[in-house]
Amino acid sequence: MAPAADEAKSGNGGQIQRPFTFNEIVLRNRLTALVVDGDNFCRLLQQGILQAYGLQTQTVDNGDAAVELIASGAKFDLILIDMLLPILDGLEATRRIRAMGVNCKMLGVTAFSGERERQAFLAAGVDLFVEKPLGPEVLIPILRELDGQYPSI
Amino acid sequence: MDRNRLQHQAACMRRSLFDQGYLDEPFIQLEELQDDANPNFVQEIVTLFYTDSARLIQNIEHALSTRPTDFNKLDDYMHQFKGSSSSIGAKKVTDECTVFGEYCSAENAEGCIRSFQQVNQEYVILRRKLEVYLQMAKQAAVSRTA
Repeated sequence: MAPAADEAKSGNGGQIQRPFTFNEIVLRNRLTALVVDGDNFCRLLQQGILQAYGLQTQTVDNGDAAVELIASGAKFDLILIDMLLPILDGLEATRRIRAMGVNCKMLGVTAFSGERERQAFLAAGVDLFVEKPLGPEVLIPILRELDGQYPSI
Repeated sequence: MDRNRLQHQAACMRRSLFDQGYLDEPFIQLEELQDDANPNFVQEIVTLFYTDSARLIQNIEHALSTRPTDFNKLDDYMHQFKGSSSSIGAKKVTDECTVFGEYCSAENAEGCIRSFQQVNQEYVILRRKLEVYLQMAKQAAVSRTA
């Protein structure tokens, strides 16, 4: 079903410029990821995307479960965390995860798009603030870095 | 209907969904994730989107009918809807969710009701078009392997 990239059309009828497609990366290492999202659809979609890239992925649906999982000793190369979460919100969950000494790459993936939210999420400890949806142009360079395909900056 | 015509019609319908602004880039990513190992990935994701959307729409309708209006709750529900619709590339639905969010922020109940009607309308239209397109695409795929 997947069309050739040059058949893709943007809403304005023109060609979409697509520097990345998901099949442009092959991971050499077994990377692990945690998806923290309170919305069932978004959580499963992000899990599906990460698994398609080859990451072993776990999911939780609230911030408290994420903190508990990390506190139990689970380690991840990548954490995707939403801002709006039940029980414990993404900002506080991020702060607590960082306070436990977790230094892995954390992406704040949220439907919020304001500068205030961006600054708050970055201050809480995420490495990158990403407005949903998380696309390959953001994810692929990060996965390459985590996989050691690029030197760390 | 012969194979070439099926494929051509499915491709035309797909192109129109993008040209008319119903779908955007994230949908292409979903299509690219579909392969022989996951032959029904797009349909599964879209079906999940329908289920999630139905739940959110019901929650929003209930919140809109409750007095006094809980704008925080409304904003949370619509925020979730915006997140899921943007993740699937449902551009018009996402745009209307943004408008709704602005009315929530302004605590404008009438505006919320009006814009929710727009959200719902765009969702219904998209769902109808997607169901037709995916059915055509499935028939075209079956005819390719026949």
